[in-house]
Amino acid sequence: MTEDHTLFGYVGQILRVNLTDSTTEILPSARYLPEYIGGKALCSKIFWDEVRPGVGAFDPDNKLILATGPTTGTGIPTGGRTTMCGIAPNSLPEQFASGSIGGRLGTVLKYAGYDALIIEGKAPKHTYLLIDDDKISFLDAEAIWGMTVHNSQRSIMLAHGPEICSMVIGPAGENLVRVATITTSNDHNFSKSGFGAVFGAKNLKAVALRGSGSVQPGNIQKVFELRKKIGDPPQVVNRIEPQTEVGKGTNSVRADWNLCRFTCSPGCTARCQKVMMGTTSTFTGELVDQNEKCVSTRAFGSIFDSPFPVWCFIASKKNTITFAQLKSWGKGQVPDDPDMDVLTSEAFAGDRLDYFGMSYDRGIVLNQLCNEFGLDKWDVCMWCFAWIGMAKKENLLDDLDFGMEPDTENVDFVKHFITCMTYRYGIGDIFAEGMARAIRTLGKEKYGDTTYHGRYSADGSRQLDLPVSVEAGWGQTYHWTGRGAQGTPKWLWLINSLMFMVNTRDPIASGHIHAKTDSVRRFYEEGPSTSQHLIDMEIRNEWDSMIKDSITACEWQSPAAFWPSQEAEMFGAAIGEEVTADELYAYAERARLLFRAILMRNHGRCRDLEVPQVYPNMTYPDPKGEVATWDEWNDIVDRYYRTSGWDLETGWPYRSTWEKAGLGYIADEMEKLGMLPPEGRTEYIRKPNPIGR
Amino acid sequence: MNHHIVKCPPSYSVCTGCNSCEMVCSLTHDGLVSPSCSRIFVQQGPTQIMRFDVFTCQQCEDAPCYEACPLKDKAMCVDPNGTTYINEDACIGCGKCQRACTFTPSRINLVKSKDKSRRKAKKCDLCKDRPEGAACVQWCQAKCLELNDKPLTWEMKEKGGRA
Repeated sequence: MTEDHTLFGYVGQILRVNLTDSTTEILPSARYLPEYIGGKALCSKIFWDEVRPGVGAFDPDNKLILATGPTTGTGIPTGGRTTMCGIAPNSLPEQFASGSIGGRLGTVLKYAGYDALIIEGKAPKHTYLLIDDDKISFLDAEAIWGMTVHNSQRSIMLAHGPEICSMVIGPAGENLVRVATITTSNDHNFSKSGFGAVFGAKNLKAVALRGSGSVQPGNIQKVFELRKKIGDPPQVVNRIEPQTEVGKGTNSVRADWNLCRFTCSPGCTARCQKVMMGTTSTFTGELVDQNEKCVSTRAFGSIFDSPFPVWCFIASKKNTITFAQLKSWGKGQVPDDPDMDVLTSEAFAGDRLDYFGMSYDRGIVLNQLCNEFGLDKWDVCMWCFAWIGMAKKENLLDDLDFGMEPDTENVDFVKHFITCMTYRYGIGDIFAEGMARAIRTLGKEKYGDTTYHGRYSADGSRQLDLPVSVEAGWGQTYHWTGRGAQGTPKWLWLINSLMFMVNTRDPIASGHIHAKTDSVRRFYEEGPSTSQHLIDMEIRNEWDSMIKDSITACEWQSPAAFWPSQEAEMFGAAIGEEVTADELYAYAERARLLFRAILMRNHGRCRDLEVPQVYPNMTYPDPKGEVATWDEWNDIVDRYYRTSGWDLETGWPYRSTWEKAGLGYIADEMEKLGMLPPEGRTEYIRKPNPIGR
Repeated sequence: MNHHIVKCPPSYSVCTGCNSCEMVCSLTHDGLVSPSCSRIFVQQGPTQIMRFDVFTCQQCEDAPCYEACPLKDKAMCVDPNGTTYINEDACIGCGKCQRACTFTPSRINLVKSKDKSRRKAKKCDLCKDRPEGAACVQWCQAKCLELNDKPLTWEMKEKGGRA
């Protein structure tokens, strides 16, 4: 260890493992870095170079690329996260997608000497990989195949020592459930892309890691400066806080439990990971600590909409640090803020939805089943259980055989259904394909598009339509897309719809809009549908998302609205160079276009595919009754394409756009593929509305 | 009992498991982040149990590490305040101090390297030459760490002497 570092912030090697023939290869990181930053940008470049069109999620030729960022393992706060990319089983259709994860995984991978790990091929038998510095072993996983997530983690620690770090799949991944997760540390997951099923398809149960090496940031003094600044306000004691209810706001139920906050990844100064201490395990009856953050709260019930917490991500001149950040440091909001009207503008009791009722016991069981089987809670809680609740109320379930009465209020049904889904028993086999595919198998017109009549405005005065299947696009469910359990103001659901449109999975994991109250006021003043500022902010938000998934940084602490150079300073401290915010945005634009190039070449992405993908959602009323028309939406997309330097008819970037980002080689490839539009074409014939509303 | 780093009881502040103490330790001393160089170690409890134990040198008055060093007073030294520390320039990385440590896990880290000249023992010296004091205490975001001079109880020693 302590070998010479030729690239500060990086450790210099990329490890390739081929499961088919149990071989390994070392690639020099300098082939890609720092030009492609790390994380998602690095994954995208490797994928572009190595994975041809036509490869499916479960094909041995699909590659899972795990990449750290230059800040990972350097002590720069929030930089401990890690990205994984590959063809995602839970994207519809299967497409290139990414996931981001906390925990120790990325840091330990760098300690072992690797900036990234490429997993390819398919093992001939159940296997787990042990990476112990430069010693790579392909080990027999028969003894742990079939184990739940935490038993798998325990077994690997027993075999290799308590300091071992692992990422594992549970039975869901083994059974190729398309919403299967990969879990590391304390229930940190790669969730929404369904990469756990790719592990299963590759006969890969786990990757265990141990590293004794080092990571050398380029500017140590700056690392400490960043620790002080990102850690401001610093040094607050961390207490166990007794709670009397669980859930969020109006979706809460009385329960006595203890909350404690922890840090998600090494070196971070925040403590965003909310943990329920000492809950009873559904499996063993022992007391265990389980995550409570974010979607987990939805398992306890879904009666009301949860309007977008503007104060979580929008900052004002007085509250320059968002409430989400302050809470992570155990601090409260600054009072008497003249911008409080904007910060609290959506913090009202949202629509009454009545998906399913509040229950502490059901929430605990549902969360633990997902954690142990390795299932994406977002798909299960936000979509599947909402669908069961709504479909039952609309009498759609009478013809379906669940093996017992489908009842989201019944803990026994919850256990039964999740078990059937995980092991593909009976009708569970259909839902194991993920909700988007399950709805299509059952019949989308009846089981997806039937209107749910149980949604009412907050004051109860208006019934608001909603489809029983809350699909946002690309096989992913709603996430701050304006209606259902994720009500937002129109300006926000338009921004998020654009992000969904150009993505392949739910983009909000690293794409919550971070902005100033001034921007929000401008959205309202200019009109959300006609605001150029909204388009500019959306594209900047895509860059921010790419930066977070690449350097790496965390969604909750970054970016800071009043510290625009934060990520550039983090990147610079890691690699030992001065980097400006504009320079980092140029890196991000290159990576954003590279992602676009993969979608075009590998999946035929174009305007006609993506514009209608997210549109149906907008035809249902948001909490204020607002919708978007087909022409309104297309006008917004026109402005977005034009601002991006993309052709209006195809959505494909011009040669000048590729070349400006240093991607002339992609322009050449696109020309060969016939995907290089005439420069500056402004006329196109708009397609008719495909759904007629 | 000499001064040493202690972890405060959870009733005062719960360790968040951020590993920052480990990272700033090796950053301060060695200019890099490495589990092999840290003089303080964080270990999580069993899976699904959010308990983090912090291990570091207890600055024992009888200093068995000092006694075991073949180059005592050159490699393993004791300063006038009773703080045992390692002079890395003289350390030959033999590992005798690590094995002599009475705690489990040993509070002395050993850098492994194919290059013998790089094999060094690492242990907490309380950042004795650092004006700000111990870096791990300075940068602990949860204020879990502090300097103390109370002896460990037998019960704590039996459990491996968690800080």
